[in-house]
Amino acid sequence: MHTHDQPGTVIFEMQHISKVYKMGDVSVHALRDVSLTITTGELLVILGASGSGKSTLLNILGGLDVPTSGSVLYRGRDMTHADDSTLTAFRRASVGFVFQFYNIIPSLTAIENVRLVTDIADDPMDPREALRLVGLEDRMDHFPAQLSGGEQQRVAIARAIAKRPDVLLCDEPTGALDYQTGVLVLEVIDTIHQELDATVALITHNASIADMADRVFKMRSGEIVEQYAPAVRRKPSELSW
Amino acid sequence: MVTSMTRKLLREIVHLRGQLVAIILVIGCGIGTYVMSRSMHTSLTLTQQAYYEKGRYADVFATLQRAPLSVIDQLAAINGVALAEGRTVSSVQVDVPGLPEPAQATLVSMSSRRSATLNDIHLVSGRRIRPGSTDEVILYAPFAETNGLVPGGTVAAVLNGRWRRLTVVGTAISPEFVIVMNPGSLMLDQRRVGVMWMAEEAVQAAYDMRGAFNSAVIRLFPGASERDVCKHVDAVLDQYGGWGATGRSEQLSHRFLSDEIAQLEVTAIIIPLIFLAVAIFLLNIALTRLVSTQRTTIAILKAFGYGTVSIAIHYVGFAVVAVSGGTIIGVVVGYVLGIELAELYMEFYRFPMLVFRMPWDVITMVVLMSLLAAVAGALLAVRNAVRLPPADAMRPPAPRTFRAGVLERMGVAANLRPVTLMILRTIERRALRAGVAVLMIALATAILVLGRFMFDVMDRMLAISFDKAQHEDVTVTFSKPLSAHAIHSVRHMPGVIRAEPFRIIGVEMIAGQHRHQTVVTTVAADQRLRRITDVDGRYTVIPDNGLVMTEYLARKLHCRVGDTIAIAIREGRRDTVRVPIVATVKEFMGAQGYMSPAAMSRLLHEQGTISGAYVAMASDSLGPFLIRAKQTPVVAGTLVRTVALQSFRDVYVQNMWMMTTYIVVLSCVIAFGVVYNSARIALSERGTELASLRILGMTKREIAVVLLGEQVLLMLVAIPVGIAMGYALCRWIVGAFETEYLRLVFAFSSNTVGISASTIIAVTAITAMLVYRRIHHLDLIAVLKSRE
Repeated sequence: MHTHDQPGTVIFEMQHISKVYKMGDVSVHALRDVSLTITTGELLVILGASGSGKSTLLNILGGLDVPTSGSVLYRGRDMTHADDSTLTAFRRASVGFVFQFYNIIPSLTAIENVRLVTDIADDPMDPREALRLVGLEDRMDHFPAQLSGGEQQRVAIARAIAKRPDVLLCDEPTGALDYQTGVLVLEVIDTIHQELDATVALITHNASIADMADRVFKMRSGEIVEQYAPAVRRKPSELSW
Repeated sequence: MVTSMTRKLLREIVHLRGQLVAIILVIGCGIGTYVMSRSMHTSLTLTQQAYYEKGRYADVFATLQRAPLSVIDQLAAINGVALAEGRTVSSVQVDVPGLPEPAQATLVSMSSRRSATLNDIHLVSGRRIRPGSTDEVILYAPFAETNGLVPGGTVAAVLNGRWRRLTVVGTAISPEFVIVMNPGSLMLDQRRVGVMWMAEEAVQAAYDMRGAFNSAVIRLFPGASERDVCKHVDAVLDQYGGWGATGRSEQLSHRFLSDEIAQLEVTAIIIPLIFLAVAIFLLNIALTRLVSTQRTTIAILKAFGYGTVSIAIHYVGFAVVAVSGGTIIGVVVGYVLGIELAELYMEFYRFPMLVFRMPWDVITMVVLMSLLAAVAGALLAVRNAVRLPPADAMRPPAPRTFRAGVLERMGVAANLRPVTLMILRTIERRALRAGVAVLMIALATAILVLGRFMFDVMDRMLAISFDKAQHEDVTVTFSKPLSAHAIHSVRHMPGVIRAEPFRIIGVEMIAGQHRHQTVVTTVAADQRLRRITDVDGRYTVIPDNGLVMTEYLARKLHCRVGDTIAIAIREGRRDTVRVPIVATVKEFMGAQGYMSPAAMSRLLHEQGTISGAYVAMASDSLGPFLIRAKQTPVVAGTLVRTVALQSFRDVYVQNMWMMTTYIVVLSCVIAFGVVYNSARIALSERGTELASLRILGMTKREIAVVLLGEQVLLMLVAIPVGIAMGYALCRWIVGAFETEYLRLVFAFSSNTVGISASTIIAVTAITAMLVYRRIHHLDLIAVLKSRE
């Protein structure tokens, strides 16, 4: 959350990205000629069915994977052929991840999970502050096994934002949650987006969620088939599915 | 046809090959050690028996002053005696060409009636002695070989005070002299201590023993009582100056050999047990992990209609493969090593033959037992998984639950870094498994400590005996007691700075029904060159008013300070006198007594006779001194301290290095097996967690800390535990290992601790590096989709 950036500064610029996975003798085209830019402070929703390539796109954005062809620029720096240590440093400093299955460490309490990240970040938030932002100030010393799914996901969000990342990448954050809890988690993400002016990219197969976005990319078979800004931006509590 | 389940098993075996290899190695070490020790034990026992049988090794031995040969018939008539023979045995000084100091040999008369001879020799080279020859000798083969003596050569020897030139006609070995050493010296010195066989008539002529004998050897009928025969022999020989008959167990050579063979049996049991315990632990944790990753697979198999039993059998297949692999390696390596080592033993002990036999029955039993134990370990691992109804098993297992534990109760959690907490909580949660792993690594450390400890003990014993107790350069012994004036002659020999006389007498100590044949040596109050030193290096002063004996001897005789015992003197007037025990000393060698010269004179009714002298030399004058000693017929032997030290080191240090190498290999295999398996399992169990950390931006090194930190921590706990265990084990061994010839001295150096600890650290580091390479292959993306 580099608040010193001017609104509208380009963070990511993807040009003609393709990704081909070799699975034995078969080549799978996960992405075909995808181009998009992400600017500071926007909340992006990437919408698509299972297998549409949206996760691959997010992985390349987050430095978990590199494209087969095309180019990725992060703040003007070419990340297309970055090596493992460059990508590690990039993830460490600039990206916050939230996953469908939370991926929080079961042997650490909520606050310790957050400290795990703040310990290695350059200018982190106070872990308590991060947990307060997601509404878990009362459950900081609980272990994951003592938290509900929604609470675990909020710990994951707190952990992702505590390092003040450039961008928050959320991969189906509500995929494993029931409706009420899902809305609660989306509200947290929206609050963070609003209050911290965070840049958020959220991928989902749930079309209703698209209504909380500034911009929406629809994907199918590895391609962006539609791109639009919702006419009315809704709050998560107004969404239904 | 290969079934799908077999195919699955084979693929998984390939997948788990690293862990499986570690387990197979551990089992292989255990079974290998067992096969090796058992086959050696069986083979050496059989070889010993065959050798004894071939050489007609006697069952009972008696030494006496002199008896007419007709007495042999009385001995032969004793109930239980199959055969009795008389011979003449003496200790002689030998001048070996090229050897600066005189050598010592046991001269044994040989009957020309070859067919009847007990303790018969086995010719290694040359020929037997011609009946009636007066100057032909057969030399003990190792003595001849180390001195470069071959048939046709000559040696000079002092026979009954006269120099004689003798022709070597052959070299030989004998079951009576498998080991030849100076009693009480523990020195296996084949260059300076030997045996010489000579025609009966020639020996009798030299020692005025015509028609007489001073040593009887007796063979018993099977089932005869050795004890009863000894009693009867003593009754017959008492009037001829009999020393008391003894069985084979009192024979130095037999005892030494049998002790050595018996030790193999201990190795055959203890070490394989340790390995099997480790292997079962490893197999159990590896399978537990495998089964937990295959929970869904098991459910699907059950849904398809595979029964609980057939699924269990499938996983037990791993145990069978591990034990089979270990058995193949173990049996092959054990067999090869067994033969190699048995041959080494054969060469060392100069057995004329080797009866190598694998005790297949025992080996089969051990393999079956290992299999059973491994299968039990495997069943324990799969038990829970196969019990689950398929529907339950298809659902992912409940996430690992952690709750506030010891760290929180102690209030230290808040001060620790999350990474440290992850490591500690994982250990805490799997406390039992961690505990067993610590125990296993500790065991490996303890074995290392034990191996190094033997060096400490040897160093300590050498330090005490060569730096504290023995300050003489040479010990000279006379062929018979001389008057006290003889010490002046010694003092006038070339290069002598100081010479101190001693008297040594053969005695039998009798306390009630307990008896022991030994020697009593004088120690003067102002004696400086040889002092009586206990195992802690403290000097003992010998009072004038009685007898001092080694603690071991006092225990053997069931007596203590203040008691009075009878001493039957085996020379001179052969009196039996009563003497009070005034002190005991804990020496590490021998079971003998000490007296002051004054007390000895009173005992013997002699005025200061002497048996030899301790001599301190000016540097560089040893050569001339030894030449003079060789030319002095009354000198029966000389023992040069530096030479003794060197020969001691040569024999024992070399053996110990072999043993140590073996021990290091064994403990490294254990440490490797445990650390590698634990780390691989941790990697498998926590792969998702580690990949998550990578995604969060942790470097490979940082997550290696999380993964391997646990192993390092366990190792750090295990090392001190292992050293403590090793320390206790060494203490126990020092207490338990106590023979008439040797008591161990407890010594524990920081070197031992350092070397043992660093070996374990090195093995852990290498193993950690092997596992570290795996961290590169963590699939970060797969993790995002999986839900552990």
